[in-house]
This record gives sequence, C-alpha cells and structure tokens, in this order.
Amino acid sequence: MKFGHASLSRRLLVGAAVLISLALVVAAIVIGFVLHRFVQAQIDQRLDTQVVFLSSMLTAGDDGVIALTGNADGPPFDRPARGWFWEVVGPRNILRSRSLEGASINAPEFRRPAKKKGPSPADGAGPGNEALHFRIQQATIGHTPVTIVTSAPRSAVNGPLREAMTTLAISLGVLGLALVLAIVLQVRLGLRPLERLRQAVADVRSGRSKTVPAEQPLEILPLVSELNGLLEQNAANLERARRHVANLAHGLKTPLATLALALSERRRDTASDLHSLVILMERRIRHHLGRARAAALSGPMRAQTPIAPRIDDVVDALGKIYADKRIVLAQEVPRDLAVACEQQDFDEMVGNLLENAFRWARGRTQVQAHRDDGPSVAIVIEDDGPGLRPDQIPHVLRPGERLDESAPGFGFGLPITRELAELHGGELKLDASPLGGLRVTLRLPVAE
Amino acid sequence: MRVLLVEDDCLLAQEIANALRHENFAVDIAVNGEDGQHLGETESYDVAVLDLGLPKVPGATVLRAWRKNGRHLPVLILTARDGWTEKVDGFKAGADDYLTKPVRVEELVMRLRALVRRSAGFAEPRIACGPLTFHAQTGVFELNGLPIRLTALEWRVLACLTLRHDVVIERSELNEKVYEGDADVDSNSLEVIVARLRRKIGHAMIETVRGRGYRLTSGTP
Repeated sequence: MKFGHASLSRRLLVGAAVLISLALVVAAIVIGFVLHRFVQAQIDQRLDTQVVFLSSMLTAGDDGVIALTGNADGPPFDRPARGWFWEVVGPRNILRSRSLEGASINAPEFRRPAKKKGPSPADGAGPGNEALHFRIQQATIGHTPVTIVTSAPRSAVNGPLREAMTTLAISLGVLGLALVLAIVLQVRLGLRPLERLRQAVADVRSGRSKTVPAEQPLEILPLVSELNGLLEQNAANLERARRHVANLAHGLKTPLATLALALSERRRDTASDLHSLVILMERRIRHHLGRARAAALSGPMRAQTPIAPRIDDVVDALGKIYADKRIVLAQEVPRDLAVACEQQDFDEMVGNLLENAFRWARGRTQVQAHRDDGPSVAIVIEDDGPGLRPDQIPHVLRPGERLDESAPGFGFGLPITRELAELHGGELKLDASPLGGLRVTLRLPVAE
Repeated sequence: MRVLLVEDDCLLAQEIANALRHENFAVDIAVNGEDGQHLGETESYDVAVLDLGLPKVPGATVLRAWRKNGRHLPVLILTARDGWTEKVDGFKAGADDYLTKPVRVEELVMRLRALVRRSAGFAEPRIACGPLTFHAQTGVFELNGLPIRLTALEWRVLACLTLRHDVVIERSELNEKVYEGDADVDSNSLEVIVARLRRKIGHAMIETVRGRGYRLTSGTP
C-alpha cells in the first residue's frame, strides 16, 4: 500500500474507516433481513388467522357446494381493493371476500409441498395487478376439498420495512461517523508516544541527553531498547577508535622520546637537525591524533560543555606550568555559558589558545566569554606579547610543517584548534589585542 | 638534587637518567607504579618525574596516593598523553608540572630545577648567599661573579645547602639527597666532599654543626 510510507495515522484511519463501513453494511444487511422476516411473520400470522377463521366457518353440502356460516369479512377484509383479500375455492363454487368486489384473487398456481402442514406462502399480482403476498391452505371440509387463499398487499410488508430501514440506516450512519471520530481521536492519542519518542531522539541528537528514556509504552519499549543499544554501541565504537588512535600515537611517542634523548646525548653538536625531525614527527602524530579525534566526532551525537569550569581548570594548570612568569590573568567568564562541543575538544582548543597566550605574554593575559548575537558563544583570549603581523596570521592557521617556535603561534596547535572549531560549527579568528599582543576569538555554537 | 624517575620504558628511563645525571642530578629509577609509589613514600627526593601509563599502578593513582599520604614533593608528569583533558586531570591529581614526550633534555632539566627551587620557597631563579650566587635555572654557581667548577657530588651538596641556606641540614638528609639509592656510600665521603667545597668557596661559608650536619652561611660572622 502506497500510503503505508506516507503516514501511519492515515494508514490507521483509512484501515479503520474501511473496516467500519464494511461492518456497518453487513450489520445493515443482517438487521434488514431480520426485520423483513419479522414484519413478514406478522403479516403471515394475520393471514393465517384469517385462514383458520375461514376454515372454521366453512360448511360443505353433499353436492360439494361450500358456504360460510357467518361473516368472514372483518377488517381489513371489508375494504375494497386494498390488497387484503381472501378466496375459498370449492369444487363447485368459489367464495370471495367483499374487498375483491367479485374479481378473482388471481392466486398463483398452487402446488402444495407434500408434507408441510399449515398455509404456504406465495407472491403474485392481484386483480388490479398490485403486488400481493398470499397464504394458501388446502383443506377438506367434510369430504369436500377446498383451497383457502388469503392475501395481503406487498406494501404492508415493505412499507414498515422501508420505514424501519431508513431509521436504521441513519442510526448506523451516525454510529459510523462517531466511530471514525473515535478512531481519529484514538490514533492521535495512540501516536502521541511516537511524537514524544521523536522529541527524545532529538534531545539525544542535540546533546541534551545521552539516551532515550526507557519510560515508554510497552510496544515502543523494544524499539527504544534497540535505539539505546545502538547509541551505546556507537559511543563505545567512538571511544574504542579514539583509544586505538591514542594508543598508536602514545606508543610512537615513547620511542620517539628515547630517540630524541639519544640524539642529544650522543651527537651533541649536530643534534639540532635530527631533533627537529623528531619534533616534526611528534607534531605530525599530534596533528593526526587531533584529526582522528575530530573525524570520529562527525557522528550524530552532540555534547554540551559548560565553559567556565573547564577554563578554570586549564588556567590552574597553566598557572603551574608558567609559575615563574607570574602572569596576571583577567578572567571574565559567565558561569552559565555552555557550548555544543565535546569536552575533550573544548579542553584542547581552549588549552592550546590559553597556552599560546601564557607562553607569549609579557605579564598580562585576558580571557573573556560572552553570548554572541548569533547562536554562538565567543571566547576571547588576549595577551600583551609580541603578537602577529596581519600577514603572518594566515600562515599560523595553516596546518604546515613550520618548526619555527620563535614566532608566536607557530607550532602551538592553532591549525588543529581551527579545525576542531570548524568541525563543531564554530570559527577561530586572530587579530591584534588592545593589550598589545594577539587576540584570539573562538566562536562555538551555544548549547541551550 | 635527587630525582625519582618513574618510567616503564627502560630504554627511555635510561636515556633520561643519563641526561639528568649529566646535569648533576642523582636519579633513582622505578619501572612500575608500585615501586614508584613505594620509593616516593619511603625515600627523600627533591622532585619526581612520573609517567602516567605505568604497569601495576597508573601514574595518576601513584600521585594521588602520595598527596593523600602527605608527600608534597614536586612532581613533573612526563607522558605521551598530550591532550589538555589529561593535562588538567594530571594537575588535579596534584602534579606541579607537565611535559609531553618527546621532550628536550634542556626543557626537562630547566623545569625540574625550577620545581625544586620553587618548592624550596624561592620565587626568583637567582639565589644569593653572601658572595655565592646560584643560578637555579642554569645550575651554575658563581663566587663573586665568577663561575665555579664543581663535580656532580659537590654540586648536589652545595645545591642542597644553598636552597636552604642559613638552615642546618642534617647529615642523613644530605646523604639521601646526594647519593642515588643503590650507591655504595662511604660514611666519610660527605666530609671529603664538604672539605673540597670549602676549598673552592671559602671555609667560613660552610659551617659544621656538631652531631647534626652542615649550614651554609653568608660567610661573614
């Protein structure tokens, strides 16, 4: 069914409507049939009473002439031409109801079933060609065989039936409508958990929650369990991939460190070139470690990181690393700001940028954060160090192989910071600070 | 200055130890977290270099255990893990500095000297005591502005005395700070070193405190 893909509620509604209509039609047919039988039985009973009445009044002479001992034309058999007739056919003469006004009842050819007792039904046309319903009884009065025929107009059956059926059809129609409305309501109510589920999955996607809540209707619960399993597996895979890359990187770094030390130990004079190579290798490993982390991140999951505590931690660490510089840091970070960004990546970005500031500052650095006009948070880090010329800025943001650590920004993770920022839908901008050094503006999407 | 080096990679540990000894440090090596923790808790060190990824007990656990047991020696974490999250965790565990592999010997030595100096309470890298000046960053001693040549053992004794000048340093503590854990120590050797030092910087500067140890003074009574 084509609409099966389009809408679950339409599918349910159309299905229910079709089934309800079918049920109502069947109900109408069955009820109609029962009603018909009921009305018919009433008419038959009336006619049969007349038959019994007639046969009780019949007498037959020895010559086979039949006669009635009284008046058998009680209402409605006394009114002419309304269809309520009777006729008794004897071998010599025929008696007729007054309503026939002398015409023949025009009974259909009668063949009596062999065993059946009591009057038999028949349908046909009366003297005025009107549709009639007959009851025919063959009896023997004395030794004279007679046929008693009574009739009622077909309309006596059909009239009440039509009336009843009209009422029935209206009631069934109303019932059908009410049922469809009920189904619409039920579908709406029944599908509400799906909407809630959508919201829950959206929350996971936006990083507001880690899993879909398990308080779900019984029918959706297996789906939710599967979904949570999938999320868990995804997270585990992500974690494993990160761990593998990290292990590889760290595994390479220890021999690299040994190599670096061995070089400076044994070849003191010429070590600097070779040591540069070691540093280059280390930097490449570090860069690709960051990239692998970033690539593993492009999944659907989005994290939420409050920035103030992370910045505090990094600043504490840098305060120890650069203890001798005794740098004065002006910090203005609102406690309630959070960014849509993995905590590790946020640490990495802010750590790199702040370390840069601490490394190059003469005595003052500044970190300040505010909600931007757009849906982003701007973290501005400034220092009073030598800064960068405008023509140097593009170079320091490009992932390159520069080893020149004597210029600010080089070799201190600005390229990877920029890549991480852009991966999270943010950006990194460098310009001059009023403090005299470099001003770095890191913009990251805000987490609501 | 005596360093505890906790590093599971023997080759790297040896290289670092050699480099540090070349810069007059006494170095004890532990190759796993358990030994490292034990040494840090039982021996007296001026500074520790601690790897994070250690067999038996992870470096961060060792560090937390030291801090919990009141061991306040300065600790430099030297690890391949260069992520800022790990750095922050390292500092939160009680580290005083953090370096990532590969590391330049000069950088490591400079940081270790700075840690020792700061933990002795000196904010400035230049420590003066009378005519004697100790440049804590380069490790150079000057007497009246002229550099003095010292052997490793002499340097260790003098550094130990200078970093707490005007305070009596117990003989046992000097012995601990001067000799490596597995060194074969002659009970008279400390006297021999002090005697040589006195010849180099002047007899008045190193005062013998009977039955206790030595004290570095400014030389003028």
